[in-house]
Amino acid sequence: MSYGLSIYKSDGSLGFSTADITWQTLDQFTVAANASVNNTYNEASGFTIIAQRQLVNVPPDAQEDYVPNVSISGNTVSVSPQSGLSSSQCIIHVLAQDT
Amino acid sequence: MAYGFEAKNDSGNIIINDTIENLHFIGKASRGSSSAGHGTISGYSGSNSTLDGRCIWTYTITSTGTPVAFIKPADYDRWHAIIKQSVSGTTWTFEVMISDTATENPPELYCFVNADDIPVPSGENYGMLVFKSDGTSKTFDSRRQPLAITGGDNAIPPEDPTNSSGTPGTSTGHAWNYATNDHDFRSSNQYTVVPDSSINTSNTMFSCPSIAQAVYKRQMHGHKSSCGCWIWNWCACGYQDHDSTAIWWVMYRSAFRLRYDSVAETGYFDAGWTGYASGYQFSSSWESGGWFGGGGGSYSSGTMPYTAKTINRLDNAYIVADSSRYD
Repeated sequence: MSYGLSIYKSDGSLGFSTADITWQTLDQFTVAANASVNNTYNEASGFTIIAQRQLVNVPPDAQEDYVPNVSISGNTVSVSPQSGLSSSQCIIHVLAQDT
Repeated sequence: MAYGFEAKNDSGNIIINDTIENLHFIGKASRGSSSAGHGTISGYSGSNSTLDGRCIWTYTITSTGTPVAFIKPADYDRWHAIIKQSVSGTTWTFEVMISDTATENPPELYCFVNADDIPVPSGENYGMLVFKSDGTSKTFDSRRQPLAITGGDNAIPPEDPTNSSGTPGTSTGHAWNYATNDHDFRSSNQYTVVPDSSINTSNTMFSCPSIAQAVYKRQMHGHKSSCGCWIWNWCACGYQDHDSTAIWWVMYRSAFRLRYDSVAETGYFDAGWTGYASGYQFSSSWESGGWFGGGGGSYSSGTMPYTAKTINRLDNAYIVADSSRYD
C-alpha cells in the first residue's frame, strides 16, 4: 500500500493494517443471576455497539436458563432479566465498531 | 482529538485508538475430553427414535481477561456451538457441542482478549503499544495479533427445532400402554439463513454463543376399561380403568453452521438447533379388580428437564474472521 499503517508480526508477515476491519472491546463483565446493569460508554459515541451473551456455570440439561435482556440505546447498554423471568448468571461482551 | 493515537481503515473508520481496547489473539484453547451420545432417544428403541446426535468437547485456556472464543470447524457440514463458559481462577473452560456423535474432526477454538490482559511474549521488547490517557492501560499491543473481522450479523434460530411439521403435542384415545413415537425430533431441516459473502468453508471461524434452548415432547395417553370378574354376563367386580402415558422428549441448544454455495459464490451463516439431551418417560396404572380381578398398580420411568417450550430466542450477534491469520 502507498499510505496507511501496517503492523508486522515478529516473523515479518503482515499482522494488521488499515485495510482491516475490526470490533473493539468496550467492556466485559459478568452479570449475577437476576441482576440489572446500566453502563454508558462515552468513548464509543458514534460507534455501532453489539453485545454477546454467554451463559456461565449452568447445568444446561436440568433447568430453564434464561439469559438477561440486553438493550442498546446510543452508547448505553442496559442488562436486565427478561420480563417476569429469573435470569441466570451471564457473561456480557460489549463490542464497538466505528461505522 | 487533542492528543493520543488514532488509526482509521480504508473506509475512514477507527480501528485503533487510545480509548477503546482492541482484541488480541492469545492462542488456541487446549482440547480435552469428549462426550458423545443421543443419536437415538435415550431409553427408547421404537420408530422415530433417530436423532442427529451430538458430541461435546471440553477446552481450556489460561487468561486473566475474559476470552472471546471463535470456533474454527474442521467439518463445516456439522453444527457447532459454545454451550457453556466457566472460569476457575484464571483457567477458562468451554464446552463446545457439535452435531453428530462422531468424535472425529473436532473444531479448534481461537481465543482473543482485550489488550490489557494479553500475556506479553518474553523477549519481545519491540512493536507498537497504544496506551489510554492513564498511561498504564493498553488499548493495542502489536506483540499479539489483533483481531480483524471479515463479517457478522444477527442470527436467531427458528422457534420450532423439530423436522416434523409443527411442534409435537399431546394426543389421547390410544390403546392402553400404546407407545409408538410418530414425531421426527431431528433438527437438520430447521434453521434460518443469513447470507454472508465473507464466509467460506476453508478458514472462516465464528464467534456466536449458544443462548437459545428448547425442550419439546410428544405425549400419548392410552386407556382401556376392563372387567375383573364376570358372572354370566354381569360384571360382578365393576369396571377398572387402565391408563398409560408415554412421553418422548428432546432438549436442544441453538447451534450454527457455516456454508458456502459455489454456484451462487456466496456464503451463509445458518442458525439452527442440535439435540443436547433426550429421554423417554412412560407410566402406566391400573385399578384393582377387587377380590377376583387382581390388584392395582403403576409403573413409571424417566423425567423431562422442564416444561416444553423454546426460550432465549433473542437477538444474537455473530462475528466471523479468517482463522489463517492466526495460525
